[in-house]
Amino acid sequence: MSMTDNTERPHVIKDAKGKRPHFYEAPGLDQAMSMIMVLASEMATLRDRLDSAERVAKAHGIDLAAGIETLDLDQDALEEREARRQGFLDRLFYLARKDASEAGKVETTEGYNATIHDIAQQ
Amino acid sequence: MLNTFQQASHPVLPTATADEHARQEFAKSFKGFIQSSLLPGLFPVYGGRVSKAFEKAHGRAPQDRRDIRTGMVDDLYFQHYAAANRIAQELLWESVNVSVDRQLPELNAKAAELSAATKAQLVIPEGFEPPRYVTALDIHCMPGGYCSEVCENDISVGALYDRGVFLYAMGYTGPDNDDMGRSVVNYLKRRMPDFQPRRILDMGCTVGHSTLPYKELFPEAEVWGIDVGGPVVRYAHARAAGMGLEVNFAQMNAEETTFPNGHFDLVVSHILLHETSGKAMPKIFAEAHRLLAPGGLMIHADLPPFDLMDPFTQFILDNETWYNNEPFWGAMRDMDQIDLAERAGFDRATVKFDTAPMAVMEFAAAAEGYSQEASEAVADREFTAGEFAPGGGWEVLIARKADAQAKAA
Repeated sequence: MSMTDNTERPHVIKDAKGKRPHFYEAPGLDQAMSMIMVLASEMATLRDRLDSAERVAKAHGIDLAAGIETLDLDQDALEEREARRQGFLDRLFYLARKDASEAGKVETTEGYNATIHDIAQQ
Repeated sequence: MLNTFQQASHPVLPTATADEHARQEFAKSFKGFIQSSLLPGLFPVYGGRVSKAFEKAHGRAPQDRRDIRTGMVDDLYFQHYAAANRIAQELLWESVNVSVDRQLPELNAKAAELSAATKAQLVIPEGFEPPRYVTALDIHCMPGGYCSEVCENDISVGALYDRGVFLYAMGYTGPDNDDMGRSVVNYLKRRMPDFQPRRILDMGCTVGHSTLPYKELFPEAEVWGIDVGGPVVRYAHARAAGMGLEVNFAQMNAEETTFPNGHFDLVVSHILLHETSGKAMPKIFAEAHRLLAPGGLMIHADLPPFDLMDPFTQFILDNETWYNNEPFWGAMRDMDQIDLAERAGFDRATVKFDTAPMAVMEFAAAAEGYSQEASEAVADREFTAGEFAPGGGWEVLIARKADAQAKAA
């Protein structure tokens, strides 16, 4: 059920009854693996959609797939793509970036807890 | 072999948007990948690593499936394999559930319309109580199980099952999911060409996918499918009507039906028994015996018993018990089915296990995505534990009720 669905109508049952087993010892890894596979599914779905786009275009006389293979990227396009890739990697590794930043500023859990304590002082 | 098998559409099958379809295909591909590429790795992992570690820790080699499991659950390769299996199962149901939910009111209305238009009976008694063994857990992790209804005249779990089971079987059971029924009918026609059942009962029929070949190939027979799930028989009835076959369906428990003695010439079930219980199974055999006319046949197509397999094969198969909400899967395989049939009244000499060759070859090149090569590859496989459907054919338990003359004698 989507969050925006306010209509009064029946909906299917989402979760199966029965305690889910866990497979890994590391806490959270079971959920992380599921999320990775959902993302993999979305990636495959997107790839299928692109494939569909190429096939639909071809049926209308535009050979997108061949055009893509022989496309010459001009300087603007090269820069746009490289920026997009770097932005993606940045987002993908945001926790590594945060970790390095914390190390640089010497931010620690103890420091964080001390801040909470200090601010609470009256 | 590239598996491109596609399900055939029919009027109540939920449709999918392009993205929903792609997610469903991904779930099917993921299952195929696990079987073709992750499953084989379990053998060297066990032989080269786990069994040795077990021996070191316990001072003896692993002896049975329980020992093997004890060792395997700590191994990261096995953890990935088992987690992947579970996740694939969850993605599969989720991918279908979204499309069922999107079109649920329309599907319910369509089913009601189709059901109203057929002469075949649909019997859903008031106040029917499904047995605990199907309601305690949602079997094979299908959200809602077989019995949940989210509104009046609901068929949602039927629609979920019909599409989901095609993906689960990766299309091995054909474009209409009917390979098990079709294979048993083929078996009967080839082995017993004179056998002409007048009435046929399919126990635990769910959406009637295995039931329909009996009507198709014995068109003169009166065919009934029964199941404890109201929504699934409701869906089955509409599905059969939509596919142009007059087959009767009823919400009924196979342990105790309301049909008279000797009513059927053929009582069948397909992958029903392993979803029942230790107490229910003997009752189902006894009920089948009661329902059969003299000379009639009982055929259960299900899982072969464990005593026919080595411990490592047993271990792999038993993962379903632990990880896929199949509480009776392992225990059922430990039961002596021949003995059960004898105690139900069948003459032991008429009870046997046999193999009904898969009918999947019949689909080759005739149905969308069923290439000759891929269909042959499915039909000619060796049996491999952990793969869907045994290679070669379905294991069937057959028993014949004594004819009237023999009984009187």
